[in-house]
Amino acid sequence: MDKKISKILSDAQLKLAQVQDSKKLNDLYLDFFGKNSHLNNLTKEISKLTRPERPKAGIAINKAKRELEKLYEQAKSNVKGQLLSVPIVDPTAPGKKQKIGHLHLVSQAIEEITDIFKKLAFSLQSYPEVDWDYYVFESLNMPKDHPARDDWETFFIKANPDPKMGKQVLTPHTSNGQVREMVAVKNPPIRMINISRCYRRQIDVSHTPMFHQFEGLLVDENVSIAQLKGTFDFFTTHFFGPKRVTRLRPHHFRFTEPSFEVDVTCDLCDGRGCRMCKSGWLELGGAGMVHPNVLKAGKIDPEKYMGFAFGWGVERTISMKTKLPDIRLFYQNDLRFLEQF
Amino acid sequence: MNIKIPVSWLREYLKTDTAAKTIAAYLTSSGPSVERIEKSKEDYIFDVEVTTNRPDAYSVFGLAREANAILLANNLKSTLNPPKGLDLNLDPDTANKVGLDVLVTDYKLCPRFTAIVLEIKLNNSPAIIKNRLEKCGIRPINNIVDITNYIMLETGQPMHAFDYDKIEGAKMMLRESRVGEKITTLDAIRRDLPKGTIVIQDAKKLIDLCGIMGGQNSQITNRTKRVVFFVQSYNPVSIRRTTQALAFRTDASARFEKGVGQESIKAVLSRAVYLAKKTAKAKVASELIDIYPNKQEAKTIRLQFAKLNKYLGIEVNPAKAIQILTSLGFKTTLEIAALKATPPSWRTKDTIDDVDLIEEVARIYGYHNLPSVLPTGSPEPRLDSILTKVINLKSALKLLGLTEAITYSIISKELLKTTGIAEKDAVELTNPLTEEWQFMRPTILPSLLDVISKNQNLKSNIAIFEIAKTFDKQKTGLPTQDLKIAFALQNSNFAQIKGLVENLFETVARKPTFSKFKTESTLAEKSQGAFVSVGDKFVGGIGMLKSTAADYFGLDTNVAIAELNLTTIYNQPPAIIQFRPIPKFPPVIEDISAIYSVLTPLTDITHEIKKASTLVKKIEILDIFTGPKLGEAKKSVTLRLTYQMHTGTPTQAEVNRERTKITKTLETNLRAKVRK
Repeated sequence: MDKKISKILSDAQLKLAQVQDSKKLNDLYLDFFGKNSHLNNLTKEISKLTRPERPKAGIAINKAKRELEKLYEQAKSNVKGQLLSVPIVDPTAPGKKQKIGHLHLVSQAIEEITDIFKKLAFSLQSYPEVDWDYYVFESLNMPKDHPARDDWETFFIKANPDPKMGKQVLTPHTSNGQVREMVAVKNPPIRMINISRCYRRQIDVSHTPMFHQFEGLLVDENVSIAQLKGTFDFFTTHFFGPKRVTRLRPHHFRFTEPSFEVDVTCDLCDGRGCRMCKSGWLELGGAGMVHPNVLKAGKIDPEKYMGFAFGWGVERTISMKTKLPDIRLFYQNDLRFLEQF
Repeated sequence: MNIKIPVSWLREYLKTDTAAKTIAAYLTSSGPSVERIEKSKEDYIFDVEVTTNRPDAYSVFGLAREANAILLANNLKSTLNPPKGLDLNLDPDTANKVGLDVLVTDYKLCPRFTAIVLEIKLNNSPAIIKNRLEKCGIRPINNIVDITNYIMLETGQPMHAFDYDKIEGAKMMLRESRVGEKITTLDAIRRDLPKGTIVIQDAKKLIDLCGIMGGQNSQITNRTKRVVFFVQSYNPVSIRRTTQALAFRTDASARFEKGVGQESIKAVLSRAVYLAKKTAKAKVASELIDIYPNKQEAKTIRLQFAKLNKYLGIEVNPAKAIQILTSLGFKTTLEIAALKATPPSWRTKDTIDDVDLIEEVARIYGYHNLPSVLPTGSPEPRLDSILTKVINLKSALKLLGLTEAITYSIISKELLKTTGIAEKDAVELTNPLTEEWQFMRPTILPSLLDVISKNQNLKSNIAIFEIAKTFDKQKTGLPTQDLKIAFALQNSNFAQIKGLVENLFETVARKPTFSKFKTESTLAEKSQGAFVSVGDKFVGGIGMLKSTAADYFGLDTNVAIAELNLTTIYNQPPAIIQFRPIPKFPPVIEDISAIYSVLTPLTDITHEIKKASTLVKKIEILDIFTGPKLGEAKKSVTLRLTYQMHTGTPTQAEVNRERTKITKTLETNLRAKVRK
């Protein structure tokens, strides 16, 4: 019995010495301690021994088991040590990345802008890109002879005009959503944002015939210019960073009164004035208090309700952030451009 | 519209100690924006943007008036000195009195017409006038022409001077032009006039393209001895139509297009005579002609203080509001809880309602002096449009390795042709900018193929997508404008595009079904494509590029394409996934290989297997291949079947029984040869 035990132990020692990885070590565990292990088989042989020999053999087997466990544990920590010391990684070598694509800069900006205004409870809506003259101009307090209604500035669609709604127009701004939203919601409060492709008959460094505009509309019982300022400050802080400040400048739009242009401080010169900006300020977009005639067109009582609206070009906002020199780059779809962002 | 003005000239009317840069800052924050300040020797030049509703401020004096009101409201010292000579006695002061016979055929074309004849001595202008004109970007010519330009810059009111002796018959008739009339303007260009242009003719010929440029035949020359000074207002719409039709704009037309006030016209003429007397030894040689049948009216507007305060978000002192309006030239009276204001003659067009008064008070008070607060209250929750979901979808596609393109929604005739949609069935622009952009596209795919074509030498394995509204013409009403998504994958195959579309449907939680093309497409090969539906709604198609289309775009046919209607997809209810208990007992997994006809769809095979055995819980496709060894039109398909029960692991005997059933079914129903 003793001989058998020492044979088992020495065999085990030999096997353990050869083990180099943890998988083989696991296999050995079954070999040593499993149902059909040599030691277990010896235990079964105890019954064949004489009664006085039995306790002695039991003790010896148990002792061997403990010894074998010790050897095994030792081998295990050796293997672990080896594993740790073997492969040396170079952390500066590039990782193996999954292939991922790129979103267009305009989409990235739209996502950011939408997220910011969602925090102020504005809902994202979508309105037609080919719309009636009524929603695009007439209901927005634009007189018939307004230059924007010329076919010099705006694209029109070949279609029979509707007796009430007028011609079909390729929307030159997102403001066609204003009256449509008022009619859809019926009872203020209204808080809407509307982002869409827009179209104008011009192309140069800062204009493409198609571009994206972003528009916000808020209508409620008590709405002030102070709140419009607050909303813009909230936006610029989150979009451009906490250092940037906005200001309102008097301006003129037909569908708002008073009307403003909204500027944000130039980040190149921190508002001191440089070549890229106008005396320290960059133009962000237009805004104003909704004109009573527009509320009326939206079937909302201008004596009870008032509102503000704002809109600006998404591409412009991006170029202000990314220093993109030519807006036409957005739509040339050169993959070397698209994959930069 | 921008105007350049020297600060030294501004200071002739604006008496203040305030520094130029401070004036500029105040103007910008409360009035017209000073966009740039240039230094010119001892002087500064302001480059000012004036909005189209304020032609009155498109002048040196107009800006002085604005600046004065703003400085006063900010408690700075300032007074406004109007130009001299605004109300001269214009009676003739020469013995050689002459006449001028004027007829205005339609007062709608010209609401006010003034003219006067002067004897003059032609010469150069004094240095101060020449310098000022040059700083404003206008070349000095002679003392008479310079006065007309000077007056326009100073007052915002354009004016013109004719050589009196070139006006045949001493007659002027202002009328609309007839078809085919022509005039040679001062710049020596012969212009074909559109019908309805406002013109003046003398006894024989056209002498003025009104409001835009005078005729060459009546211009001032070195020999000129007598001039007609001439100040008018014109119908702004008519002037704009002409400048557009001729594609010809001048400093004068820019002002007339916006509409100039009628009340100040006589004063402007008087000022011009005053300058002519000072610089050209002028003597008045005719009676004043002033045709002004319908006097311009000013409407009195009532503004409640409560409304003013609501708009500004603060309490405004009524006295402050009154002071601001008064400094801008309004006549005001104070009432209980309200004020009444009548706009000055130069502001009657742009101040009509109480909100217009609110703007005046608010801007001069200073937007920078208003607090910044967030809107209060909370709106009823309103569901977002599907655009919110589209934002998430785009992010998912990006992570799947696709790059987003954004191409123009307006396409050319040629690109439209590739879609197979006839021009008459497409949404067409009446006034395209170029032929490149003529139709609103019904599908995004051709634009994406164009992008791949343009980039194929720069990159390989291009995988792009775009999401945009597309335009389908309707018999009546607006075009249908559904949101679609299109994919184009270069060096790809049918399985890849289908897999991608399946990924998309997992992302949007809808279940697609794929079926063979039933109709021909101009872009996808019929035998290598599939229709996609959700529920009973057709949502689009996928497939491999057809060789004719590939040729057109200069591509190989290994481009996989897909287009799906997102509006329809999102309108279908999302597939709700219900809980299935996790199996307690391990399954038995077996592979089954068989040879089928190539025409047997995989869905038929899996359908037969599931019908034959309820123990098969999952079928995976391991391998499909064709080859000459299999025989003609045959394919080998290897499937991995998972046999599972919730009562225990199936025994070998149970699996054998199931396999026999499956084999038999495949052999009898699909004529398969199952490998044993």
